[in-house]
Amino acid sequence: MPPTGLEPARMNRKKGDKGFESPRPYKLTHQVVCINNINFQRKSVVGFVELTIFPTVANLNRIKLNSKQCRIYRVRINDLEAAFIYNDPTLEVCHNESKQRNLNYFSNAYAAAVSAVDPDAGNGELCIKVPSELWKHVDELKVLKIHINFSLDQPKGGLHFVVPSVEGSMAERGAHVFSCGYQNSTRFWFPCVDSYSELCTWKLEFTVDAAMVAVSNGDLVETVYTHDMRKKTFHYMLTIPTAASNIALAIGPFEILVDPYMHEVTHFCLPQLLPLLKHTTSYLHEVFEFYEEILTCRYPYSCFKTVFIDEAYVEVAAYASMSIFSTNLLHSAMIIDETPLTRRCLAQSLAQQFFGCFISRMSWSDEWVLKGISGYIYGLWMKKTFGVNEYRHWIKEELDKIVAYELKTGGVLLHPIFGGGKEKDNPASHLYFSIKHPHTLSWEYYTMFQCKAHLVMRLIENRISMEFMLQVFNKLLSLASTASSQKFQSHMWSQMLVSTFGFLKSISNVSGKDIQPLIKQWVDQSGVVKFYGSFAFNRKRNVLELEIKQDYTSPGTQKYVGPLKVTVQELDGSFNHTLQIEENSLKHDIPCHSKSRRNKKKKIPLMNGEEVDMDLSAMDADSPLLWIRIDPDMSVLRKVEFEQADFMWQYQLRYERDVVAQQESILALEKFPTPASRLALTDILEQEQCFYRVRMSACFCLAKIANSMVSTWTGPPAMKSLFTRMFCCKTCPNIVKTNNFMSFQSYFLQKTMPVAMALLRDVHNLCPKEVLTFILDLIKYNDNRKNKFSDNYYRAEMIDALANSVTPAVSVNNEVRTLDNLNPDVRLILEEITRFLNMEKLLPSYRHTITVSCLRAIRVLQKNGHVPSDPTLFKSYAEYGHFVDIRIAALEAVVDYTKVDRSYEELQWLLNMIQNDPVPYVRHKILHMLTKNPPFTKNMESPLCNEALVDQLWKLMNSGTSHDWRLRCGAVDLYFTLFGLSRPSCLPLPELGLVLNLKEKKAVLNPTIIPEVITGNQETAINPSGHAQLVGFQNPFSSSQDEEEIDMDTVHDSQAFISHHLNMLERPSTPGLSKYRPASSRALMPQHSPGGDGTPLTKPQWGMELARKGTGKEQSPLEMSMHPVATAPLSVFSKESTSSKHSDHHHHHHHEHKKKKKKHKHKHKHKHKHESKEKDKEPFTFSSPASGRSIRSPSLSD
Amino acid sequence: MADTMATAGAGSSGTRSGGKQSTNPADNYHLARRRTLQVVVSSLLTEAGFESAEKASVETLTEMLQSYISEIGRSAKSYCEHTARTQPTLSDIVVTLVEMGFNVDTLPAYAKRSQRMVITAPPVTNQPVTPKALTAGQNRPHPPHIPSHFPEFPDPHTYIKTPTYREPVSDYQVLREKAASQRRDVERALTRFMAKTGETQSLFKDDVSTFPLIAARPFTIPYLTALLPSELEMQQMEETDSSEQDEQTDTENLPLHISTDDSGAEKENTSVLQQNSSLTGSRNGEESLIDNPYLRPVKKPKIRRKKSLS
Repeated sequence: MPPTGLEPARMNRKKGDKGFESPRPYKLTHQVVCINNINFQRKSVVGFVELTIFPTVANLNRIKLNSKQCRIYRVRINDLEAAFIYNDPTLEVCHNESKQRNLNYFSNAYAAAVSAVDPDAGNGELCIKVPSELWKHVDELKVLKIHINFSLDQPKGGLHFVVPSVEGSMAERGAHVFSCGYQNSTRFWFPCVDSYSELCTWKLEFTVDAAMVAVSNGDLVETVYTHDMRKKTFHYMLTIPTAASNIALAIGPFEILVDPYMHEVTHFCLPQLLPLLKHTTSYLHEVFEFYEEILTCRYPYSCFKTVFIDEAYVEVAAYASMSIFSTNLLHSAMIIDETPLTRRCLAQSLAQQFFGCFISRMSWSDEWVLKGISGYIYGLWMKKTFGVNEYRHWIKEELDKIVAYELKTGGVLLHPIFGGGKEKDNPASHLYFSIKHPHTLSWEYYTMFQCKAHLVMRLIENRISMEFMLQVFNKLLSLASTASSQKFQSHMWSQMLVSTFGFLKSISNVSGKDIQPLIKQWVDQSGVVKFYGSFAFNRKRNVLELEIKQDYTSPGTQKYVGPLKVTVQELDGSFNHTLQIEENSLKHDIPCHSKSRRNKKKKIPLMNGEEVDMDLSAMDADSPLLWIRIDPDMSVLRKVEFEQADFMWQYQLRYERDVVAQQESILALEKFPTPASRLALTDILEQEQCFYRVRMSACFCLAKIANSMVSTWTGPPAMKSLFTRMFCCKTCPNIVKTNNFMSFQSYFLQKTMPVAMALLRDVHNLCPKEVLTFILDLIKYNDNRKNKFSDNYYRAEMIDALANSVTPAVSVNNEVRTLDNLNPDVRLILEEITRFLNMEKLLPSYRHTITVSCLRAIRVLQKNGHVPSDPTLFKSYAEYGHFVDIRIAALEAVVDYTKVDRSYEELQWLLNMIQNDPVPYVRHKILHMLTKNPPFTKNMESPLCNEALVDQLWKLMNSGTSHDWRLRCGAVDLYFTLFGLSRPSCLPLPELGLVLNLKEKKAVLNPTIIPEVITGNQETAINPSGHAQLVGFQNPFSSSQDEEEIDMDTVHDSQAFISHHLNMLERPSTPGLSKYRPASSRALMPQHSPGGDGTPLTKPQWGMELARKGTGKEQSPLEMSMHPVATAPLSVFSKESTSSKHSDHHHHHHHEHKKKKKKHKHKHKHKHKHESKEKDKEPFTFSSPASGRSIRSPSLSD
Repeated sequence: MADTMATAGAGSSGTRSGGKQSTNPADNYHLARRRTLQVVVSSLLTEAGFESAEKASVETLTEMLQSYISEIGRSAKSYCEHTARTQPTLSDIVVTLVEMGFNVDTLPAYAKRSQRMVITAPPVTNQPVTPKALTAGQNRPHPPHIPSHFPEFPDPHTYIKTPTYREPVSDYQVLREKAASQRRDVERALTRFMAKTGETQSLFKDDVSTFPLIAARPFTIPYLTALLPSELEMQQMEETDSSEQDEQTDTENLPLHISTDDSGAEKENTSVLQQNSSLTGSRNGEESLIDNPYLRPVKKPKIRRKKSLS
């Protein structure tokens, strides 16, 4: 654990806004980036950078900078040649091609590698020695100018070249290049201090072909031709101090559009797309106005540029004064569905201009503030633009997402504080990756992190009011703009960095409220709340007895204590109650206002003051309760499972005006397939005032209910008559009206209803013929000639509907699928798909939505056994050169095929694409899809799971993806999904029992097979020196000065790993054990059980669980026969181990680290033993000793 | 004017017609045709201001004119046969003329030119005895541009048509049905044709023809086809745009507020699309008003800069 790196994070909270302490012994004030040659043909870049720094300590003799991929030719400091060393441990995370294959080991090594070059810890890949001639100069803390000449050849990350292979000059071909990456990735294309906390002013120069435009940050000062007039140089100045990580570049033959509303805003797009650009950006000025108004602050930069490029890394990337978008966001006025999505992207990027680009962060643990604020103000924009319903719906969606993710993975921590690196302090021990660095984070985790951040901001708003919230933002912005104008006082610039502490202090200053409990609950701690609610009505006391239970023991949950709002709709009106959720009180008595009464015809007042007539006949005669809602404002990050009667849900759906409540009741009604539910849903569907998304989800619920009621269902298939009434001709009800999508509300409903209807099934579990004919007719009579809008999304959904109607083929003893035995219905479907897919070739639809749907439908047909399962078609559509949406859809099908058919060939094909595809997004996406739909998982037997695959994936994470953080983390995700944390079960034990520890100049037993003591003997285990040994072995950087960075987690995890394998050894069920050679016994036996302090460090429950696991496993006779062979050396081990001796110097400090912990371990050991007995579940979930409550809780209690 | 022409034409052709009357009818026909052509050439020459012409040159011009007219006939025939007709229509002739590099638009004006000469009637050989048929109605007189010696219009009943319509299909259902199946047939035929003539993929190994899929072919610049509306759509948009703009107002109260924004945006966009071609021009116009660094002219290199850059 590098103490240097963690200092700032901790300091921030303790010391307060005294401020920012730079991890570097110097301050960067200005940087020049000059790229004077860009070769599109060779995909190379030549240039130099010049950093102006002021030493802050007298003895500064080394300067560490970040640089990856760049070839550095020459470094000069104040015109003196300077020596430099380049060392990037992230290139290959685990060296020596050791046979280590467990993810724990990798993750720790990877985190250590990232730390070793982390600019926030003052580290860097490039270490420059200050020439001795300048030492005196440095002692006077005088300015240093570091001049670095570099080049980049075929960069694999950071800069992305798009060079279409057509005739013509590069400009005619539409070739372009742009910077990209995940978090701070600027080091991939020029040497810099790649930290969000090191701000400086910038001068950027790019010499490009005369037909090209270079777009970069800041103001374009001038454009000058070169002497041969064939190129021109773009000179940019960025006078607002900016972090290198917010510097970007895009060069291409862009068409230029000056925003007609704001002349300082310029838009760029690729050739021929100008009309689309005009339409797409025509709305942007309103977003500007909105943000400026709510923040009461002008847009901080003097200009803004949007660039739309192909093969984008992410859809939206915000940089200082410019944003880079995917060109696929562009659309014409005829496109409905893309319009709100694109506008959202624009608004998102603009919010990040204020918070993220202009205001940067002090450290990674402050990231949540920036993401939170930008996400929050983006939410306000949504509310204003799309309305409150859309906003609340979005919040609910985001809340559901984060809740699902946290419950699945065990929590997202917004503000991690890292202690000394001890295991108990690891705030994310439930995860298989480190959250200390953005670059070690799973992409999905990061997405969820952003989601949680803005939700928490909303909680803060709930607490302190929006007015104060906006005042806080305004304060942050005005502080920053004051600081930014201090051109020569670079120490002031740290005001432009936001920290968690600063933000919270600002909140308490502005609002005078203490939000510490809220922060503690949601920011400093991970997990969400899981409520279970039920109630009973006590008629005598006229009291509602509400019981609210919590589950705070499952992973990803936490206990909630505090106020909770409950809304009760009674006959006399709607009443809010605030309950205090406390430790032990589950029951809450809520007095009711109304006596139950029937027959009295009186309107019922709702929450919003509206009074409505209700048919109260469905009600319980004794109870005045219509419905109850827990936490209606979503002011807790929670999941609520509430039990109330079906009629209450129906009332809630019909009469509650909040879309979230309606959505919830729709979800709940799925469980009540009754005619009453059907009626309620149908009524909602017909109600035009109802929010369209609610109506859309009512469609799907209705389909589900209809399927559950299939035997009693009367009348035509669900929704059919409704659709006919709404969208078909009056005179001929089987023909749909010619398309008119002027009302978007009904457009969305029209699109969705058939898709939901296709999910209907009859008693034979087939899609009713009537429904299929109906959908086919919709397609047949579809007529868009008179429509102002394109119907491509509508037609695509019709194909989705066809796909939904497909049911598994009745297979007669696995016959081969041929045309002859094709089901006639499927034949009709296939005919439509063929025609649609072929028409797309001639008249392509926007974003090829129809092709995408066709490909999905074909896969559905394959999967259901109607069409022979074959990936060839998909593979051809997945090739580079197809539109990205098509490729992704095709790849998804191939991924699915790989899983279903267990095809090794296709898996290899996918893996090959992950490594070689030109588009980073596609590579990322394949990994993501493989992770979501894995060919096998860790507890599954699969012929695909073999050693070669493990090696391949290991290589991919270890070195194959060093140019792209996101990809590497994606590979880690996949590895985890396939093999779990520990050594993949398909691997044989390492062949070499011996490894040479060069450092110690002796041979030791390969740590992967260090035997553990006999399982029965709980008292002995590997002693500290045993893992100390390991440390030396596994830390690839121990040769550098990073020795102290050895991560204690690694030690523990490796230890767990060892113990795991020892158990495997003893249970010879381990496949491939035969490869184990007892040859190791000839060597020095490893330092085993303890000399003085025999405290067992291994978790005892491990042995227990593994033992059971082992015996539980089926053992093949062959493996059984191996048993004696295996046990022979084992006994040697256990004896030898006692005579081990302590290891050498460089492990000493670990002992110190350990000592405190050992006590805990010891104390709780027995406890664990008992607990473990109760656990019937998969013992491998505990494969990491760092995971699980049982380990964390004792240390917390101390 | 007409008289002068007539004399010039008659001078050369009149004499010959008499001597060769004894030959067979086919020769006779050729001779007559040639004579007429000579008259035409002569009259055109006269019209162009020539007073006399050598015989050889008149012959050459006649030959040229004959080939030209023959070529028109031949091509027109080909065109009409190409479209599976036997009778050339006006459009076949027009296409032919265009194909031969003739500017058709100038033809009406030329035909109506003031100094036009009218060719005298060719000497009537044996006037065919037209059997007196029942005349029905009044024959139409010649329009002014048809010389009077041309045959008279036939009886009106032979060419005037009084169409008898079947009851027009106004039933909405039938119309929709028809439109739908027509479109489907066209689409199917077209895609089948494309599939037959190009590479295909198939979902069934044993049968490649029942559901032929046109093979996926990667594009060099995939985003262009994916994003740009097709010409058909553009056309449609222009057609529908003006008619339906006013309907915008009633969609404004949708909860999905994009509609309101859209209306403004769309108006913006339609003008964009129309101005599209002249966009570069209009931008130049704006340049004087808008001060945007990207619109500023590129500077010439300065000598001083040389050092700092190198």
